[in-house]
Amino acid sequence: MFEYFKEYFDYKGFLICLVLVGIGLLSVNSATFDVGAAAAFDKQIIWAGIGFVCMLVAAFFPIRALQRIAFPVYIAMLAVLLVVLVVGKSISGSRSWFGLGGFGGQPSEFAKVATIIAMAAFLARTTTSLSNVKHLLIAIGFAVAPMVLVLAQPDLGTTVVFFAMLLPVMYWAGASNSVLAAIIAPILAAAGALLGTLTFLVTLVLAGALLYFTRQNRFAAAVAFALTLAIALSVQAVYERLPAYQQKRISTFLNPELDPKGAGYNVMQSKVAIGSGGFLGKGYRQGTQTQLNFIPEQWTDFIFCVLGEEFGFLGASIVLTMFAALLLHGIRVASLSKNKFASVAAIGITSLFTIHVLINIGMSMGLLPVIGIPLPFLSYGGSALIANMVMVGLLMNFYANRKEH
Amino acid sequence: MIYDDQFGSPQRRKALTAVVLVIFGVLILRLYQLQLLYHGELDKKSEENSVRALIREPIRGYMFDRNGKLIVDVGPSYSITLAPFEFDKATFPMLSSLLKIDSLTLEERIARARTYSPFLPSRIRRDVDIRTLALIEEHLPVLRGISYEIESKRVYPTAVHASHLFGYRREISDAQLAQLSEYYRQGDLVGIAGLEARYESLLRGKKGYEFVSVNARGQIIGSFEDGKRDVTPREGSDLLLSIDIGLQAFAESLMTHGNYGGAIVAMDPTNGGILALVSKPDFDPSVLSGVTPAELWSQLQNDPAKPLFNRASLTRYPPGSTFKMVLAAAALQEGVIDENYRIRCTGGFRFGDRVFKDLHVHGSVNIVEAIQRSCNVFFYQLILKVGFDKWTEYGHRFGFGQATGTDTGEETTGLLPSAAYYDTRYGKGKWTQGFLVSLAIGQGELGVSPLQMARYAAALANGGTLVQPHAVQFIRNKSTNKIEEVPHTSSAVGLSPHVMALIREGMQRVVHAPGGTGGLARIPGVISGGKTGTAENPHGEDHAWYVGFAPFESPKIAVAVMLENSGFGGAKAAPVAGLLMEKYLYGQLRRNLPRPAPAKLDTTRVITQAVH
Repeated sequence: MFEYFKEYFDYKGFLICLVLVGIGLLSVNSATFDVGAAAAFDKQIIWAGIGFVCMLVAAFFPIRALQRIAFPVYIAMLAVLLVVLVVGKSISGSRSWFGLGGFGGQPSEFAKVATIIAMAAFLARTTTSLSNVKHLLIAIGFAVAPMVLVLAQPDLGTTVVFFAMLLPVMYWAGASNSVLAAIIAPILAAAGALLGTLTFLVTLVLAGALLYFTRQNRFAAAVAFALTLAIALSVQAVYERLPAYQQKRISTFLNPELDPKGAGYNVMQSKVAIGSGGFLGKGYRQGTQTQLNFIPEQWTDFIFCVLGEEFGFLGASIVLTMFAALLLHGIRVASLSKNKFASVAAIGITSLFTIHVLINIGMSMGLLPVIGIPLPFLSYGGSALIANMVMVGLLMNFYANRKEH
Repeated sequence: MIYDDQFGSPQRRKALTAVVLVIFGVLILRLYQLQLLYHGELDKKSEENSVRALIREPIRGYMFDRNGKLIVDVGPSYSITLAPFEFDKATFPMLSSLLKIDSLTLEERIARARTYSPFLPSRIRRDVDIRTLALIEEHLPVLRGISYEIESKRVYPTAVHASHLFGYRREISDAQLAQLSEYYRQGDLVGIAGLEARYESLLRGKKGYEFVSVNARGQIIGSFEDGKRDVTPREGSDLLLSIDIGLQAFAESLMTHGNYGGAIVAMDPTNGGILALVSKPDFDPSVLSGVTPAELWSQLQNDPAKPLFNRASLTRYPPGSTFKMVLAAAALQEGVIDENYRIRCTGGFRFGDRVFKDLHVHGSVNIVEAIQRSCNVFFYQLILKVGFDKWTEYGHRFGFGQATGTDTGEETTGLLPSAAYYDTRYGKGKWTQGFLVSLAIGQGELGVSPLQMARYAAALANGGTLVQPHAVQFIRNKSTNKIEEVPHTSSAVGLSPHVMALIREGMQRVVHAPGGTGGLARIPGVISGGKTGTAENPHGEDHAWYVGFAPFESPKIAVAVMLENSGFGGAKAAPVAGLLMEKYLYGQLRRNLPRPAPAKLDTTRVITQAVH
């Protein structure tokens, strides 16, 4: 009986997701209790309920149909992002919200899912060949189009996410090392450009070396290098135009201690909160940093501090382990899938989760710059929670149908 | 070839798995570093890093009388607060002795504070004297988690009590706190009676916050983020009242002078603005302005004289003959009778096998004379002609059996019986027309409040407009410094000028014609109108009523006087009303006060007990 159930029901992904959502609700409750934001908790419960239904729908949605609607849905999402740019609500300096009857929605969260599905559908076509430059550019274009719209909002975190998931997806779909190098090189150089002239030069050399050693065609490598240079310079130009608060987030990342009450404040407080938790934590609702509201709105991007402070190393590492298990499970689903569309989409979903977890927890612990992206399943926010639960539903779906071509 | 199809190859699976494992390895290592290696240092930092939000209480709004005189003021009151999380138990005995609270009570208060919030400061002693405050301040470095707050308490600069009008505040109850936790916290004072309750949200203003950093020993080491997050408190709005404080004081003295229990409501008949509102026995509101000791509170609550009970708007006595104008209005307006209709009063009225009595044999009377001399027999037979439904309808038109919409605190709707009411109360067909005969002269189950009666008097004074009684005319917003008028409603009773003139003529004769029952309400040099009433009281002596207004032609004041257990309205209530109107119209009395009546009810008892 259980064997049969295991065969067609992905209980692992299902259970991990539910436990993470449960821990998330506890943390949001603790962070919002006492600071006059208790309504956030009530809303989050409703979102979780809606997410659960959406997850089940995604788990039983016919894969062929999903593949067929991938492009129309993707185009529709682009349209919505465009509308948001024009008429969206502005939340902390960024127009990423879509007001709808009192509840705001963040379409960029759903755009992530739509982009993964559309890219996977494109890469899975038998006529698509990554050796064809046109096809390669189209594949990249799937990620770049929403990225540009999101960057214009401007939402740096989500932009980074769109770009970062491109690489593992291409890698899994079978792109050669030279193609991957052509994708990595501009990212590397662009990141270097943001950190100053010296790092820019160093990363430019590294990018050049990467292209050179993986080259299959000298001309193509040269073109890729020229593109790298162009992209890095334009990223720098965009950086100059970013709002001051996002520029500051990037620049103070290097040394937050210099400015403990300014832009580095969140990171400092977040580290103190996590560190003061110790092995067992201070106990549920007992975290002084959390309860005294040191970190503004920590139930959104800094939810991991609540975990760290109140549940300690034990609790936080259990959560980390559960995330790791979910991601490894995602990779396993991808390799078990006989259907290329499902397989590539599973990697897309897995890499999306990986990037969110890495950046969010990394920034909470002072390892990465503070770019506001939520921690999947745990952070307060309806759109992200529903989108993430839908993606787990898709993984369950791919697992159940892994033997179908 | 650029494309080497390695889609989903085992090597690529291994590579991705390795990436995930490396990422999580790094995250776990960092977590280990922060939470286990650096734990001591960061934990210390977190303790040093405490920020305390000190609540800055706003100044409560003031109240001014109609002439701009400050009548409800505020003064500073110091409360000692405790943040349970930071509190050091070793200092418990010291705190107990400094605050002069026994250890049991103190323990209980700390436990309550902890259930409210372990981290936020809660008040453990309210309204301490300056000496105690100085002692606490001296010991602050030792007393971790202890702090103090300044709040405003009420100060009453005039001698009036106006206890039921002003109302008072008490510590918010747990039930209220559960509902209003967005603004209030444990120990906050909240208006629970009178104007303090009705205008609580305007009077209270808005709390401010000052954020300070405190070190591990709980000492304030400076403002947090240079006060960038501080929120300045917003002062509460002022209430500009229609009350005439001189008249209020005089009305209170009239009640004290005569040792009366009961109520007086005086009103501007043109708009319903209340000029004076007295309920006796009362209490000195300043005893409830700061901290109210439990003994004092229970004493006030359990006093058989019920000093907390607002007799002006919560009592429900029969109005007696003062209600006769309602029936007169119904009969005249509906055309049942006219001014020429006469009956012969023989001093009694036989209905069925019962005889309803009158005080006198009035002989031949018409409607005007019947009001003037308060002839019961006239009205006994009149209600049978008018019918129950019309009587109820006109009672309703004059505002009885319904709330007046006053802003002065809780009020009763009273009881205006109707056929439907008797049907449900006694059953269909189980009550007789005999019930009506009592209602005709304002007795029986009819119940009215003095406030309703004052509004009734105002409607008769102003020619038929039912006004909304109110004490607050304007509200001054301290943030914008704008004065806003409070809107009030009014409705027409719907009487023709002729009917109104007849009734008013009767009321004038009550005061001025020989044989009128209200001669004692006469004001030297001023024509006025009124009506006496005596409410039968099965439990003791009758209640005396008087409603009236003056000057007769363009009234400036309408009054209702109700004196509990003091006998005839014409003998007791009428002179009180006359003196009150005289004082208001002339600004002072033109004669000496009549001799005080022998003491019957000690209305000052509560006050002296409260003070000592």
